[in-house]
Amino acid sequence: MKRFLSVLLLTVAFFTMCLAAPFVEDSVLTAQGSKNGGTLRLALPSAPQSFNFYGVLDNSAYTVINQFLAGLVDLHPVTNVVRPGLAESWEFSKDYMEITFKLRDVKWSDGVPFTADDVLFTMDYFVMNKVAKGNSVDRFTAAGKQVERVKINPKTVKAVLPAPMPGIFQSLAQANIYPKHKLEAKIDKSNPDSVNKVWLTDTPTKDFASIGPYMLSDYIVDQKVVLKKNPNYWKVDSKNNKLPYFDSLEYLIVKDAEVRTAMFMSGQLDWMDVEATAYPTLKQKELSGAPFTIFLAEPTKNVPSPVHIAFNFDASNINLKNLFSNTKFRQAMEFALDRYRIIDEVYQGLAVLGGVPVLPSNKAFYNPKIENIRRGFDLSKAATYLDELGIKDTNKDGIREFKDGTKVEFTLLVANSPVDHQDVGLVFKENVEKLGIKINLQVLDATLVGQKFGSGDFEAGIRAFGNQPDPELRKAIWQPGRQLYYFHRTTMNQNTKEPDQTYMYDWEKEVFEMFEKGAVTMNPELRKSYYDKWQELYAEYLPVIFLCKGKNLYGANKTLGNAYQAKDGLVYFSTWTAYRK
Amino acid sequence: MWSFIVRRVLIIIPMMFIISILCFAITELQPGDFLTQYLDNPRISAEQIELMRHRYGLDKPAYERYFMWIGNILTKGDFGYSFAFERPVGDLIWERMGWTVIIALLTMIFQWILAVPMGIYSALHPYSVGDYSLTVLGFVGLSIPDFFLALLFMIFMLNIGSTNIGGLFSPQFIGASWSFAKFWDLLGHLWMPLVVVGLGGLAGLMRVMRGNMLDVVGSPYITALRAHGLDEKTVKRHAIKNALNPMVSIAGAELPNVFSGTIIIAIVLNIPTMGPFFYSALLNHDQYLVMTFLMFIALITQIANLFADIALAMLDPRIRMN
Repeated sequence: MKRFLSVLLLTVAFFTMCLAAPFVEDSVLTAQGSKNGGTLRLALPSAPQSFNFYGVLDNSAYTVINQFLAGLVDLHPVTNVVRPGLAESWEFSKDYMEITFKLRDVKWSDGVPFTADDVLFTMDYFVMNKVAKGNSVDRFTAAGKQVERVKINPKTVKAVLPAPMPGIFQSLAQANIYPKHKLEAKIDKSNPDSVNKVWLTDTPTKDFASIGPYMLSDYIVDQKVVLKKNPNYWKVDSKNNKLPYFDSLEYLIVKDAEVRTAMFMSGQLDWMDVEATAYPTLKQKELSGAPFTIFLAEPTKNVPSPVHIAFNFDASNINLKNLFSNTKFRQAMEFALDRYRIIDEVYQGLAVLGGVPVLPSNKAFYNPKIENIRRGFDLSKAATYLDELGIKDTNKDGIREFKDGTKVEFTLLVANSPVDHQDVGLVFKENVEKLGIKINLQVLDATLVGQKFGSGDFEAGIRAFGNQPDPELRKAIWQPGRQLYYFHRTTMNQNTKEPDQTYMYDWEKEVFEMFEKGAVTMNPELRKSYYDKWQELYAEYLPVIFLCKGKNLYGANKTLGNAYQAKDGLVYFSTWTAYRK
Repeated sequence: MWSFIVRRVLIIIPMMFIISILCFAITELQPGDFLTQYLDNPRISAEQIELMRHRYGLDKPAYERYFMWIGNILTKGDFGYSFAFERPVGDLIWERMGWTVIIALLTMIFQWILAVPMGIYSALHPYSVGDYSLTVLGFVGLSIPDFFLALLFMIFMLNIGSTNIGGLFSPQFIGASWSFAKFWDLLGHLWMPLVVVGLGGLAGLMRVMRGNMLDVVGSPYITALRAHGLDEKTVKRHAIKNALNPMVSIAGAELPNVFSGTIIIAIVLNIPTMGPFFYSALLNHDQYLVMTFLMFIALITQIANLFADIALAMLDPRIRMN
C-alpha cells in the first residue's frame, strides 16, 4: 500500500511540476543499486515481423519496438500507473474537452530535437490512418468523431476531444511517437498504404531513430535483435544517473519454450517469463542452489488470458437457445464448475480466481463485491436449479430431457491450443454429466474454433481474452452489441454492425449503459461506480462464466540487479533499470 | 545426353504449372485466411478487417487471385508479398537460404559418410557381431523420435554444465565477424543437429547399401572377376561401384526433405532454417509465402531428380538416356 501511495505521490508531483526536469524513475525500480555496462539478454518467442509499430500486429515486434520508441504517456512497467512520458505534463480545459500537452525537451538518438511536428506526423499518418495495419483510429474516436490534433508551438500540442474520453491516457500510452525527420520522406502521403512499408526487417538501422531506452543496432534474421543504449534517453534514476544501465540489450529468438527454459538455466538468458509447467522444476533447482531466482506473484499482466465458459444465446437448436438464455441455467452451470479443482489439477495451483474479468490486483477498477456473488462448487444446488427449470430425467436413463422429450445434450467447442482449455473442458464435462447433462467435447484447430465463435456457429465453448487495466479497452468484448460479444450476436445489427437493443435482456441493456457512461465520465469515482455495476451484473447474470487467472511467474539470473520481489508481492524489473551486479 | 537434359528441363515447366495449381488449391482448402487470426483481437474492428481484406486482395475470388499471382511470376518474376512481413516472399526465403543449405548438405554428408561404409561393412560381414551391432545402432537412431533425442542431448549438455544448447552459436557470437573462436563455437553447437537429424536417416540408408551390396557380391560377374584372378580389393571396388547405383537415386529424393522435413527438430534445436519459418507461415495463412515455398520445394525435387539421373548415367554406362 505504501509503495502504491509513493507511486501515486510521485505521479502527482510530476503533474504539478512544469519544469523541464528529467524524468526521475520510480525508486522502487532502482532500489538495489546501479552499475553501468554489460549486455542484458532476453528471449523472443518468434522473429519480429517488422519494426514498424503501426504496420504490424505482432507481439514480438511490439516487445522490441517498445524499447526504442515511447508515447506521450508512459505506463509504470509494473503497476501500470499512468505517468508522463514524452509529454512532461498536461492540463484539461474546464469542460474536459481539451487536453494541452507540454512536450518534454528531449532529443532523438540522432540528436534531432523531439517536437510537436513528430506528434502530429505520427497521429496524422500512422495512428489515425485506417489503412495502417496497427492503427488506433477507434481508440481516438468518440461519438463518431475523431480526436482533433492542434500544434500550439513546437513544444505544445492540444487534443480536442469530441466527448470526454477518460480512457485516452491508456490509449496514448500505447501510441508510440515516430521521428518525422526519418520517415516523412519514406512515405507517400497520397497513398495511405505506404505507411505499412517502412521500417521493415531489412531496413538499415541508420534509417531508425530512437527515443526509448535503447536504439536498434542489428537484426540477425531469426536469431537475434541487438539494441544499444540510447545516449539521449530522458529517464534518470533517483541519483540522477542516466538510464539505462546496460550498454546493450539483446533479444535471442528462441521459438521453443523448453529451449528457452534450458537457455535460462544455463545462464544464457537473464530474465524470462516462466511457463507454469516448468515452475516446479525451476523452483526446485533454485532451492538446490541454482544461479537463478524464480518469482511467483499475483497476476498483474494481461496474459495468460483468463479462461471462460460461454453458452451461445443464439444457438441454432431452439431448446438449447432457450436454455442457454436462461440465467438460472447459467447459474446452475457455475455451481457445477469446480474452480479449485481446476486450479489444482490444470494449473498446478499457480492460478487465482480472476474476477469478471477485472483482475483483483487492479486497484483502480476491481469490485470485490463480486466475490460474494460468485457461486462456489455445489452440485446439489446445481441439480436443484436444473429441476426448477423443468428439465428432468423422466425416463431414468441418467440424462435429463427437455419438455419435448429430447435429451439435454450440447457440444462444448475447445481449441487444440492452449492445452489447458481442453483440460478445463474435461473437468467441467465430468461434473456436468453427473447432473445428467451430456457434453460432447469438440476439440478443433484454434483457427477453426476462432471462426466458429466469430460466426456464432457453436453451442457452448471455452475461450480466453487477455485483461487490460482499463475496462474501456475491453469494451469490444464485454459490451453487448460489440464485435466480440460472440455469445449473444443478435445484440448487434449484422447489417450496420452497430449495437441493437431489440434483443438485449434488461441486464444487458444496463451493462451497455454502464460502458457508455464509463467511456465519457471523467470523475474517477463515478466512473469506477459504473464499472463496479458492470462487474456485479456479470457476476449475477453470467453472460460467460469466468474460471481463474494464471499467476505471474518469472525467472531472473542472480547476477541481475533491480530484479526482485518486494514485500507487496509485486515483482520489479525493467530493461532500463536492471544492471549486472 | 543433351537432348535428355533439354527434354527434362522442358517437362519441368508444365509440371511447375500443375504444381502451382495444386499448391494454391491446398492453401485455399485451409480453413480461414490470414485475417482470421485477428478476428478475436478487440483492437481490430470489423471495418478494419474488411479494409485489410481489400488491401491484400483477399476479397477477390480465388481464381482471380491465382491468375494475378501466376501472372506476376511470369511477367515480373514477382512471387508476391508476405502479408505478415510486408516484404517480397522471394527476399524472405532468400534470407533464410544460407543456413538451410549448409545444414542440409552437412547433414547429408554426415549420413552418407557413416551409412555407406556401415552398409558395406555389414554386407561384407553378414550376420557377424559387427553387422548386428551396426544394425541395432541404425535402428535405434531410426526409432527414437528426433525431437526426443534432441531434448535428451540438451538435458545431457545442461547436466555437464555446457551452454551449447540450441541455436548455431553462443549469444555473443551471433552476428559477430568470423574468427577461430566463432568457428569453434559453431562446431560446439553444430554436432547436435547433425547427429539428431543424421541418425534418423542413417538406418534406412545403411540397410539399402547393405542390401545392394549383398545382391552385388553374390552376382555371377563378381564370381567371374574372382575367377579371373583379380585381387579382393579390386573385386570390392567393382562391387561397391555397382551397389552405389540406387543410392544416387535416393540422394536425389533426399534433397527436398532436408529443406522441409526437419521442421520440428529445427524448432526444438532453435536452428535458423526455413523449416520453422514455413511452419509459422502456414499457421498464419501467409498464402503467397506458403505457395512460393511449396513451389520452391517442388522445383528442388525436380532438379535434384534430374541431377540424380545424370549422375546415374555417368556412374553406370549401361544406362541410356533415350
